[in-house]
Amino acid sequence: MFLAFALLTIGSALAMAFQKNVIVAGLFLVATFIGVAGLFILLSNPVSAALQIIVYAGAILVLLLFVIMMLNAHEEEPAQDDLYFQRYIALGLGIVLIGGSIILIRQSQLLQSLSEQQVHHIAPVSLNQMGAEMMTNHVISFEIIGLLLLVSMIGAISLVKKRL
Amino acid sequence: MAILVKKVQLSWWDRLYFPAVLKGMWVTFGHFIRQLLTPTSKRFTIQYPEMKKEMPEGYRGLHELKQFEDGSIKCVACFMCQEACPARCITIEAEEFSDLNFTQGYEEKRPKIFKIDMLRCIYCGMCEEACPKDAIWLRKDYELAAYDRLSLNYGKWDLMNTYAVTDGKPVQSEDNELPPSPPRNFVTM
Amino acid sequence: MILGILSLAPELSWMLIKVLVCIGFLMLLAPPLTWVERRGSAMIQDRIGPNRAALFGKIKILGLAHVLADGLKFFFKEDLIPKDANRALFWIAPALAFIPALLGFAVIPVGRSFELEGTTYHLSLIDPNNGMGLLYPLAIGGLAVYGVLVAAWSSNNKWSILGGMRASAQMVSYELGLGLSVIALFVTVGGYDPHQVILDQVQHGWYLWRQPLGFLVFFVCQFAETNRLPFDFAEGESEIVAGFHTEFGSMKFGLMGLAEYVHIIVASALIVTLYLGGWSIPFSRDGDSWPVLATVASFLAKLLFLCWVFVWVRWTLPRFRYDQLMHIGWKIMFPLSLINLVVNAWWLTR
Repeated sequence: MFLAFALLTIGSALAMAFQKNVIVAGLFLVATFIGVAGLFILLSNPVSAALQIIVYAGAILVLLLFVIMMLNAHEEEPAQDDLYFQRYIALGLGIVLIGGSIILIRQSQLLQSLSEQQVHHIAPVSLNQMGAEMMTNHVISFEIIGLLLLVSMIGAISLVKKRL
Repeated sequence: MAILVKKVQLSWWDRLYFPAVLKGMWVTFGHFIRQLLTPTSKRFTIQYPEMKKEMPEGYRGLHELKQFEDGSIKCVACFMCQEACPARCITIEAEEFSDLNFTQGYEEKRPKIFKIDMLRCIYCGMCEEACPKDAIWLRKDYELAAYDRLSLNYGKWDLMNTYAVTDGKPVQSEDNELPPSPPRNFVTM
Repeated sequence: MILGILSLAPELSWMLIKVLVCIGFLMLLAPPLTWVERRGSAMIQDRIGPNRAALFGKIKILGLAHVLADGLKFFFKEDLIPKDANRALFWIAPALAFIPALLGFAVIPVGRSFELEGTTYHLSLIDPNNGMGLLYPLAIGGLAVYGVLVAAWSSNNKWSILGGMRASAQMVSYELGLGLSVIALFVTVGGYDPHQVILDQVQHGWYLWRQPLGFLVFFVCQFAETNRLPFDFAEGESEIVAGFHTEFGSMKFGLMGLAEYVHIIVASALIVTLYLGGWSIPFSRDGDSWPVLATVASFLAKLLFLCWVFVWVRWTLPRFRYDQLMHIGWKIMFPLSLINLVVNAWWLTR
């Protein structure tokens, strides 16, 4: 099961990256999200899986595809300023990101406790637990994200509205 | 000049939209129930091959060449209808005929060929008006279909029999012998 | 490994039966629904409807043979693909439309859970307390857009593209109202498992009466999600030919049509579960003594009635204009569901 979802995720992610056609690439991204949702379920966190599908696959990518279709940009446009060192910076940053996340995951308490306990079946996380967690332990990041979204919303409105 | 469209101001009740939807649903539900409870024969739909529409008075359908009671043709091949026809769909060839019988009086002419091309005919009824003998009628039948164009070129016998089944009359054909006519009284002047 | 599967066998076979019955039920109910739609619309419009097709040239059974004839015809039609279509996407588009529609039914319990020889059997495909609960049909419903979108884009047709774009914008806008009205319900129930929702309704009464506003919003948004008539902008046959499935023929078109009806069934099942008490029997609160078959029958009766309501509404209301659609979605349904949520939350904390 894990292999199937992992292959789906990685395969469609790669296909997305190498796909010339923007819309097909977007659809591969959807497949990636579905694979990630499957991985979430295997981690016995179905709530995240459902939210992943509802929010990312169901809403954000639909909007993305909508915009792509509306702009009708079927051909790839050349990048505006093709700085030669840009790709090296990107490569370095990517390596730092991947390495950092690997180190973080290996150090995480959950993984260690899992390897100690040899647990095979964990009770699935429910929405109630997740909500409680969000409102107690992670309330600051929750509020910050809310604020950020509000700011971006106001920004979008002020950009679109000519006369406030 | 542009037409000024008056903007309709809806009241708050109408703008709620939902009561109006319920009202509409009620109307359609009424129609549904009414249709469900009406027997098929009484519904508006005329289920064609089984049920046929009764055409109104003055409807101009297929032509019939009228005949006397003994079955002989009324037409005297005067060409009036052919001349009157705006679509030029009538073809007549006259023939002399000596076998006079009583019902036909003393005419000596009848159509040898009387053709109407039903595909060209526009069913205007001019031929009916032109006919001095009341021999061609446009009646209420409207069923006209065939697999080829030629078979819609109706001949004399077809035209005489257009309504034979509807009226319950015997189908006339060339082979039919006329019933023996009663002895004639030749009035000599 | 094999021993493990064998020891699981009773559960597995029960699962297999459930899957077969559920999917078979959906597939079997969808074609007669086309008949209901055609005959029902005929009745509503004072017509008679299809009644000519006959089995063996004799048995007419009120036009039900048309369903068979249609299916057969779809199979034998020529399968056309437009010249510049994206062939791969064009092929999978009907499946993308059909499968999400079919999947949504999985969590919905069709009857009371019962015990037999020590094991509890649940009458839903996925057992309760799986943590996914009613988020699952919502998630799957979100994926249903892709069938329309991919079909629209792959057929390389301007009308199709227009239909697909309308559909995507519409579904995203209406999912908000949908989700928020459901959240209000979840808050009141204190859980989001369908079994929990139904048991709560058995005890305290249907949510149709307890949250009429939420029901209204959810109902309207479901119409938008299923692309049914007051909101069938993806099709919009008077404006954009047939919208997203303009270029589809033969069984591909058949699958698209079938997907619409399966969608209706699943949407009705969702509404029944959330707002009409699921398998509960009205006017009776004694949940444990109901016979299982009676609960199934109750569920089916509600389901069929709601399917009929979908048909009924379609033949009553004309299509909105596109700006009206957006107006209703963002300026009416969204605020209404927010008000519903806030009022219900306040009522709980009171």
